[in-house]
Amino acid sequence: MATVSKKPRNREILFDSVIALVFILVACVDLCDGATVVDVYRLIQYDISGVPFGSRLASINHHAASLHFAPSADLSRTVLLIPLRELNMSFVQEYIGGSKPLGGLIFLLPQIFSFKNKGGASSNHDDGSKEPLKNVLDKLEQILIHTNLPYPVYFAFEDDNIDTVLLDIKKNDASGQPATATTGGYKFVVSATEPKKVGSPPITNIQGWLPGLKTDGDSHQLPTIAIVASYDTFGAAPALSVGSDSNGSGIVALLEVARLFSLLYSNPKTRGQYNLLFGLTSGGPYNYNGTRKWLQSFDQRLRESIDYAICLDSIGSWENDLWIHVSKPPENAFIKQILEDFSSVAEDLGFQVNLKHKKINISNPRVAWEHEQFSRLRVTAATLSELSTAPELLQSTGGLVDGRQFVNEAAIVRSVKLIAESLAKHIYGHQGKNVQIFADNSNLAVNPSYIRSWLDVLSRTPRVAPFLSKDDPFITALKKELEDHTDEVNLQREVLDGMFTFYDSTTAQLNIYQVASVTFDLLLLLVLGSYLIVLFSFLVITTRGLDDLISLFRRPPSRKMKTA
Amino acid sequence: MTVFHFFNCAILTFGPHAVYYSATPLSEYDTLGTSIKAAVVYLATALVKLICLATFLKVSESDSFDPYQEFLKALIGFIDVAGLYFALTQLTHRNISQNHKFQAVGLGWAFADSVLHRLAPLWVGARGLEFTWEYILQGLEANANLVLSISLAGLGSLMWLRKNKPKTLIPIIYLCAGIVATMPSITSYLRRGLGWHLPKVVGFELFTSLVMAFISWQLFAACQRPSA
Repeated sequence: MATVSKKPRNREILFDSVIALVFILVACVDLCDGATVVDVYRLIQYDISGVPFGSRLASINHHAASLHFAPSADLSRTVLLIPLRELNMSFVQEYIGGSKPLGGLIFLLPQIFSFKNKGGASSNHDDGSKEPLKNVLDKLEQILIHTNLPYPVYFAFEDDNIDTVLLDIKKNDASGQPATATTGGYKFVVSATEPKKVGSPPITNIQGWLPGLKTDGDSHQLPTIAIVASYDTFGAAPALSVGSDSNGSGIVALLEVARLFSLLYSNPKTRGQYNLLFGLTSGGPYNYNGTRKWLQSFDQRLRESIDYAICLDSIGSWENDLWIHVSKPPENAFIKQILEDFSSVAEDLGFQVNLKHKKINISNPRVAWEHEQFSRLRVTAATLSELSTAPELLQSTGGLVDGRQFVNEAAIVRSVKLIAESLAKHIYGHQGKNVQIFADNSNLAVNPSYIRSWLDVLSRTPRVAPFLSKDDPFITALKKELEDHTDEVNLQREVLDGMFTFYDSTTAQLNIYQVASVTFDLLLLLVLGSYLIVLFSFLVITTRGLDDLISLFRRPPSRKMKTA
Repeated sequence: MTVFHFFNCAILTFGPHAVYYSATPLSEYDTLGTSIKAAVVYLATALVKLICLATFLKVSESDSFDPYQEFLKALIGFIDVAGLYFALTQLTHRNISQNHKFQAVGLGWAFADSVLHRLAPLWVGARGLEFTWEYILQGLEANANLVLSISLAGLGSLMWLRKNKPKTLIPIIYLCAGIVATMPSITSYLRRGLGWHLPKVVGFELFTSLVMAFISWQLFAACQRPSA
């Protein structure tokens, strides 16, 4: 008896363990690729002095809905897919401003805002629709970066795949059924790791030194003129912040001025008696933190030898007016000199340069213009810009709307002419005389194709400082370019300090799955069960006869009676 | 629900085999051994077919219907028939009536075919989040394949195991066997040459399998009458 019962028990244990193994294997559901995969770019996540801003989460695993959702629907486990063309500010204010719970947001931007889109003009959209879209996007960007959003927010570009998905979602929403686990629809999955703090966000300042002509017997240090531009950007989507105007135009102008003066200075006969210091600083959007560090690294003599500094900020899309912003009072001799040089050249070139004075408040940490950092260390400086008023913190820092198609090369060419001629006037002492050094069709002419090629490169490189490592190829490229035009190039590597903390995870891939609802699966199970039962009965009837089928369900009554 | 979907499709693909085994008298006569032997023969046949396909067929880039290639594939498909012949005649079965023998062989054959061709895609594909009708259609195809295999086995047993057949029926038997054996080529021609979509092809397979099963059943019954 014992041996007989052992065998079935061993068999049973084996059987059970096999079944358990099968269940474990089956339960390992690995997500294979969805039918559609789209590149998406995350909203920036940062803290200012511990106060959180931006999108705080990165991974998404929810059902999708469009803007036509039912008014009473619970959206806390739904991702909203919103094309920019259909966005209206009332929705933004209600849901984002009003901190309503959402599973996630994905904004679909038209292709014209993508820097990956080859060719400026897109075929089937007229230019008239660009301007209002640009304004909407600008407003949206400003709201998003100043709000704390406890759900993932992503940006994506319209393409055929996601457009068809959106149409389908709209159809489903129009029929009144929100997509949940029981009604099928589309599921959006972004599998991203939890965003971590960027430990020590690097700032790299690049400086180029072009020494002037020292005549023998001259024991005094030559005076210096500094030309500075900040090269990093900040925007709603750090992976898309290319900042063509802010401050791509400034960088390009600086490089072209460096090239022109290096040509002039290469010949000792034309070398001026001024040193030229070119500075490409980082940390611009964060109260020009990098500029301050750069200036603090100067030794006293160099700082005292700087006659004045010209900072370039957004000079790529102006028509007739440029502004020179100063913080020292206009009565100051140097300021007067600068203004005179610039306005006379501007008059010759056919446009106007205006002076704007803004006092700096030492106790206020906000630094609106780059020249203010110079002024705080008692160096005369001015900022040349097309903006007439000082931007707020994190405004006009090269975000989503600042793309290549909104920058005018001709404006940059005119700005370069202005800067170069004005500097030359000061360096060679041609005040009051009408001399054109960098005339067109001379070998010192401003080169528009140089400007264009650098502008194109800059418009394809996102440059948010915490995500630019100190060995980034872009920084190396800038360094090499300055090395071509100047004698001595130095890199200063620092860490962004102060109130800003950043988090990583800026791009991801969105998988779109079309899922069937649970009711569908249950229904299918029911249908299959009944099919198998019908098949079973059919086979029993045809091969064994109807009586056998009935006898399967009836317990044999006769045996019980016999034993009793 | 993805595991749920896998479970559903698995039931659809493999359930009918189990149901067939338990519903018909096959389970009473314990013909499981025969089915397993038939499955092993199918495996061997599939390996031989693979080797022949690899040796004789060219890899075509386009998905069009190339008559020469398809003819070669059909020829190689007859290796299937040879395998079935081997399973029916050469393997020593216990004393099972001819009626049950061909059913057991056909069942084992179809089960091995389903497992080899359909289990792996089902495992990898049906567990994902994305929903497609593909696996349900594949299950229906497995059902049609079961019916076809059993009819082919039945016709085969008629051809090779039964000695006294009515003379008039012999050509019909061979014709039906020929049609059933070339079913794979016909379906691939429909899919590639005429460009039918999967649901249409599966529907066609189900319909023809039922028709051929009915015809084989009638033939079998007709052949049984003289001896009974």
